[in-house]
Amino acid sequence: MTSASAAGPRRSLYWSVQARRNRGIRGLAVVVAGFLALYAALFPGLLTLAGFAKFSQTWFPLALTGMAQAMLMLAGGISLSMGATVSLGAVVAASVMAGSLGVAGGIAAVVATGLLVGAATGFIAVRLRLPAIIVTLAGSFIVGGAALLVLPRPGGSVPPWLSDLLAGSTPTAFALLVVVMLLWKLYAATPLGLSLYAAGENPVGAHRSGVPVEAALICAYAISGTLAALAGLFVAAQTGSGDPVIGQAFTLNSIAAAVLGGVGFLGGQGTMRGAVMGSLLLTAMINVMFFLGLPPVAQYIAQGLIIVGAVALPQVAERLRRPRKRRST
Amino acid sequence: MSKISVVSAVVAVSALMSSIDCAQAASKCVKGEHKPPFSLGWANIYSVPTWMKQTTDTITQEVDQLKSQGLVSKLMITDAQGNANTQIQQIQSMIDAKVDAILIDAGSATALNRVIADACGKGIAVLNFDSLVDTDELTAKIDTDQLEWGQAAADWMVKQIGGKGKIIVMNGPAGISVSDDRRKGAESVLKAHPDVTVLAETNTEYNVAPAQEAMTNLLFANSDIDGVLALGGSLSAGAVLAMDKQGRALVPMTGENYRQFLELWKDKGLKGWATMQPNWLGALAAYTAVQALQGKDVPAFVKVPLPVIDDASLASYIDRAKDFPSDGYIYSRYDQAMFAKLLAQK
Repeated sequence: MTSASAAGPRRSLYWSVQARRNRGIRGLAVVVAGFLALYAALFPGLLTLAGFAKFSQTWFPLALTGMAQAMLMLAGGISLSMGATVSLGAVVAASVMAGSLGVAGGIAAVVATGLLVGAATGFIAVRLRLPAIIVTLAGSFIVGGAALLVLPRPGGSVPPWLSDLLAGSTPTAFALLVVVMLLWKLYAATPLGLSLYAAGENPVGAHRSGVPVEAALICAYAISGTLAALAGLFVAAQTGSGDPVIGQAFTLNSIAAAVLGGVGFLGGQGTMRGAVMGSLLLTAMINVMFFLGLPPVAQYIAQGLIIVGAVALPQVAERLRRPRKRRST
Repeated sequence: MSKISVVSAVVAVSALMSSIDCAQAASKCVKGEHKPPFSLGWANIYSVPTWMKQTTDTITQEVDQLKSQGLVSKLMITDAQGNANTQIQQIQSMIDAKVDAILIDAGSATALNRVIADACGKGIAVLNFDSLVDTDELTAKIDTDQLEWGQAAADWMVKQIGGKGKIIVMNGPAGISVSDDRRKGAESVLKAHPDVTVLAETNTEYNVAPAQEAMTNLLFANSDIDGVLALGGSLSAGAVLAMDKQGRALVPMTGENYRQFLELWKDKGLKGWATMQPNWLGALAAYTAVQALQGKDVPAFVKVPLPVIDDASLASYIDRAKDFPSDGYIYSRYDQAMFAKLLAQK
């Protein structure tokens, strides 16, 4: 009985914290579920293994970059070089894998590139105390230029077996996403991971309490860069080749995914699962609009309305909830 | 004798049947059940530029005609907003929606290869025009020849200035394949005429303002110019405006079917030559898709000859100007008979 009562409050504390963190994304979850249901109703093939596999492949790179962006935003940073890093990852993968180093060499090169780009960006932004938005804007030109140096024109190649493994008719991409999210859970439980939130929410306070703020931030940049480069590798596998400008749209879309998921610009606010859900909404939205047969102009408008709606919904729900609470107490 | 005639009749009939068989299996990718009316998908990379809007218009007009002929049931249009990843996603959705044919203006030379091969493997006719992909796993590619563009323009220019003189070359952005290819085509002609000197070259976006600015600077530095070899329509409009503003005599000039350039050409009475990337490549792609789906043999590459506008034919374009947007392109006339002829060429 004593053990039960000891475990009881601890568990309830954990879940109550989680429930509070989930509150912000509950509205989004409803919207996403609605869209997925609508998508499945319009295209029943989504529920087959191959259909789900194809959809999760479309979703995967945006989910990965959304997480990479959310990680930085949770720490109070941001990256405008996300897209360029995806492009660089893609061309490094496609050109190294086409050479003598093969797939293993390609993966190693992509991870090394992402780590290096991310760590360098983080080091400059954090140690020199420069605004992340400026450093990564400059970084986007440097990294984007590097991608064009590696492959001036689309080319290179990824072995077909790797393409089929990652982006064939099996949901490997989804499995990888689950693994990445579990890894994030583990990381968030380590001292460095915990420091991430602390550093984002109140860097000075965190520093005074002995949190290694700078190390946490630089690590976040390095991991974020690696995730972005790996998203590039996946895009290269998905397309079978490398294109030096393929990633451009990921910069804005990754920020959109994170913000949709409730991740704030000021740091410390939001959850990774929210960002992943945001990326899911952005991906499913395009397919739903296609199957609804909306003309392109209507799609622009619908897209804007959906994004505003998904962001506004939790706010509206919160406002509706508050007065009721006040009355009850 | 009657026996012989029976045998020959049988041979003739079977030969006929096998030839029909052949024709039905001829176009690449087209497999399985395809019965008219067909559903088409138009996977646009970016719907905002005027050229693209006009191209989509030619597709919808062609589809309307094919609908009235009972050959097409519906046209799905997507806009990837310039993002090749989104274009892949939308082509995938078209495959999922089991369209009969997909028309593509590609956002990347390589990125669409796998999804196109997927579509082809599922028996869907895939037609690629304007911006081409580098895979051959599709039904047909449709385009003009940009090398020929540059070559024909340079040929005309050399002839205009009598084989010798000083010219300025205006290019589109460096590193863009269209711009590079046109310049390469011109180079082959310029090399053969050493008496033609290139005073200077510009590289700007395909917009009037930057071209005008670049030309203005060159005019200050060069008092003696015999011709302007502009390898893009809006570039020549910028050149005319720059020369006109400085009161310089207009020299022979090449360009494209950009409406503003054609109107300046007529108003200022200059010696001009222009060609075009016809917007109706889109309409032709829709027409070709339906031909392939009906079992006809379409060539793997449909090379569209460049329509030429010269001083003689200029009026026929200007007369139709009011039907086109002011920042648009006045394309040459087209109809299904012309498309049929283009597909019949070998």
